[in-house]
Amino acid sequence: MPLDYRRFNGPEDSVSYRRFTEDYTKDYKQFLDELIDENGRRKGGREMDEARTLCMFFARTGMISQAKGSSYIELKRTKVACSVFDPREIVHQNEYSTLGQLYCEVKFAPFSCRGERKALVPDSDERALSVALKKALEPAVCRHLFPNYQIDIFIYILENDGACLPAAINAAGLALSDAAVPMYDIITASSVAISGDKIFVDPTDDEEQLAIRNHDGVNHGVITMSMLPELQQVSDYRQIGSMDADCVLNALSILEKECKKIVPYVQRVLVQNAINSFEQQKKLEEEAKEREEALNAKMEVWKSILNVG
Amino acid sequence: MAGLLLSPSEKVYILHGIEDDFRSDGRSNIDYRPMELETDVVSHASGSARLRLANTDILVGVKTEIDVPKPDKPNQGKIDFFVDCSANATPEFEGRGGEQLANNISNLMQRAYHSEQAFDLKQLSIFEGKQCWKLYVDILILECGGNLCDAVSLAVKAALFNTRIPFVKAALLDGGNVDLQLSDDPYDSKLLEVGTAPLLVTLCKIGEKCVVDPSAEEESCSVISLVVGVTGNPKCYCSNEDASKLHEHISKCSTIAMNGPGSVAPQTLTNAIKQGINAAKYLDEALGKALLRERQDITNFVKHSYGFFK
Amino acid sequence: MTSNTHTGTTVTIFFEDGRKFNDQRDIKLNVNAIKTADASAVVKCGNTTVVCGIKLELAKPKAEEPDVGFLVTNVELLPLCSSKFRPGPPSDHAQVISNIVSDIVTNSKCINLKDLCIVPDKLSWVLYCDMVCMDYDGSVVDACLITLMSSLKTLLLPSVSFDVETEEIKVDTTIKTPLPVNGLPIATSFAVYQQLSRSVILTDPTAYEEEMCGGLGANLIACWNKGQLCGVFKFGGSNLSTENEKETLALAKQKSKLVEKVINICIENKS
Repeated sequence: MPLDYRRFNGPEDSVSYRRFTEDYTKDYKQFLDELIDENGRRKGGREMDEARTLCMFFARTGMISQAKGSSYIELKRTKVACSVFDPREIVHQNEYSTLGQLYCEVKFAPFSCRGERKALVPDSDERALSVALKKALEPAVCRHLFPNYQIDIFIYILENDGACLPAAINAAGLALSDAAVPMYDIITASSVAISGDKIFVDPTDDEEQLAIRNHDGVNHGVITMSMLPELQQVSDYRQIGSMDADCVLNALSILEKECKKIVPYVQRVLVQNAINSFEQQKKLEEEAKEREEALNAKMEVWKSILNVG
Repeated sequence: MAGLLLSPSEKVYILHGIEDDFRSDGRSNIDYRPMELETDVVSHASGSARLRLANTDILVGVKTEIDVPKPDKPNQGKIDFFVDCSANATPEFEGRGGEQLANNISNLMQRAYHSEQAFDLKQLSIFEGKQCWKLYVDILILECGGNLCDAVSLAVKAALFNTRIPFVKAALLDGGNVDLQLSDDPYDSKLLEVGTAPLLVTLCKIGEKCVVDPSAEEESCSVISLVVGVTGNPKCYCSNEDASKLHEHISKCSTIAMNGPGSVAPQTLTNAIKQGINAAKYLDEALGKALLRERQDITNFVKHSYGFFK
Repeated sequence: MTSNTHTGTTVTIFFEDGRKFNDQRDIKLNVNAIKTADASAVVKCGNTTVVCGIKLELAKPKAEEPDVGFLVTNVELLPLCSSKFRPGPPSDHAQVISNIVSDIVTNSKCINLKDLCIVPDKLSWVLYCDMVCMDYDGSVVDACLITLMSSLKTLLLPSVSFDVETEEIKVDTTIKTPLPVNGLPIATSFAVYQQLSRSVILTDPTAYEEEMCGGLGANLIACWNKGQLCGVFKFGGSNLSTENEKETLALAKQKSKLVEKVINICIENKS
């Protein structure tokens, strides 16, 4: 790879120290034992079908002062920030496009993944996630309202502990509504990791790693789905791994339910957002009134001075 | 994907035809167009194939190189897909127009081949943790006539079926470095096991129905298509006596993705997945037959070249 | 909400956000929030948010300096943090900020690179310190240094055994030793606003103020390390009189003491 002269580079042959620790390579059994305890619960005390939404979901909007709309989502350890900027004219465009464009970029922090440090230049993972995000958001945004314009959506993953694509989609949905971009519906997303007969809803990084591995030819894989819950539409469905049809269809129905479960959480954030901006508006109006009164009072004083003179 | 201009009435014509299960070129909704497939067309590649599906023309070459395996997967080789859209394929590909489409297709292929059940990377290992084969699959899109994903996956599977990897005669470990001795004879090589390699089936949602193998015109009538990657049946890719030794095969989905700006209802999605798996099964059988016949011809030196390369 | 009257005749001048000229925005600091990094810190100075994460790697030292490790510091101004930055390779401004931070850390000698060497000529630590700006609202260098120093102070190095014969490396993550940090460089940004004949010094300017004072980013950055001056940088904007310079240095010194306290308290509370 050519050297990046715009940044400081370390030595070329440096490797993460984790490669020399004893538990670097684990076999399937060890992995599984670590993730599920004897009661069939997952590490961290969650049930198999329990998403992190119930207890450890944290979302807010208005995170980034410089952006038009922004949001931040924390699914226990997965941390994702998103910002959306004003629509701007598409540069270098030959043809008039009747639909507005979405420009999505997903970026991992160099320190966001457990293993090796991520390079600062975008890699294929990030590009694939950006495409997936764009695909998921396009059906949700009223793109015909801003022809020939594009909206920039930037996602930054600070820490990746699994389910980063659904987190990114949820964050982008919140940020878009925070930026007052017209949308057809709230957009929510969820993912499952499947390994044999085990179905992990809203998986952690370890669980995703387990599901990507092949073991004795059983079903395995990770599925992400995003939905417009009110309109009953699937805006994106993405599967990796290998599983038979029944398993896919089963996962689909689980994901449909999960996507609906997230809706109240998103609604709560949005309602809070609306209340806040309403209150701020009120405060601003009051202050404006005060200022005007002060000015009027001053005017009166000057008038009286003039009259006296 | 690659769009072209159609008037609204032309679109309505296509849509109504599909509703009656009768498409503008006379096919039913689950019919593929005729294909031409030829393998071993590029002499400098380890394996190659050319596929023509109506107007879609794909050339695939496979190159092999020696590489170091990934530290977390010491006993596996690597496979990489590169898609190049020729500027002649369709007017939109001029300049950098085809780049995004090319990226999409290579991502999709990478995902479809990701699972070990779809393509066993262990067969590419040479010396665990030290050396492995890396396959570069170069996909050249020569002409674009709709349904690129399916055509690419068929051509890739054919090219991999045709790929020969040289035998490694000896591997000596010398102070952390591996010394490999490869066979000098180019015919002294092994074939890859590609029976399980996945095929992609695109289901284009037009109106209320899904069709397979959409033409470019049909693609422009649709806002959403679903791509289902289904693992192949190894039985179709070997002789009858070998096939009887294999286990019963269940087709599995190795990837599912959606293309296009639209969205679908969950029920449509379910039906489309089922339809895709069925279509892939037939496609896989047909491809297996064609490839076995082709291999027979090559070994008997009776192969006739039809393509433009010879 | 702008109640500022920089150009007006009234002299009760406040910052855009109601601060006095030499007031500084509140600092919020949190360490080790990101578990995938070997050490991390998040700081919020007003709106400006910077996250720093350190990744540890191992490499062979350079042949010309066999007993020295590596400290690689990079500042990323993400397109996410302000509409001024576009995706793609870092802009000139980002490179300048990256350079300033790296210069300050090197000049202050707070990390002895020899501490990072494990076996001379064979193995040494590489510290990749990546500071990412999540929200660009002025005085980024100050925030970058706070996060960088807090993460370095909380960094624990796992013990490494190296077999000289077989060149085999073993890392034991159960035994960890802190990295020695000598000193604590702290930067303070200023913007110089020319008002008629005299210039006004604004401490800890926001992005808007930086822009109004001309030039990209802050006009003056002064850096103190435990009561010793370790760097003054001046960029663009108006010129500075000698009295003003003295004033800024004094202000920066005052601030550095305060920030030092903040960092120490935060780290103590966490451990």
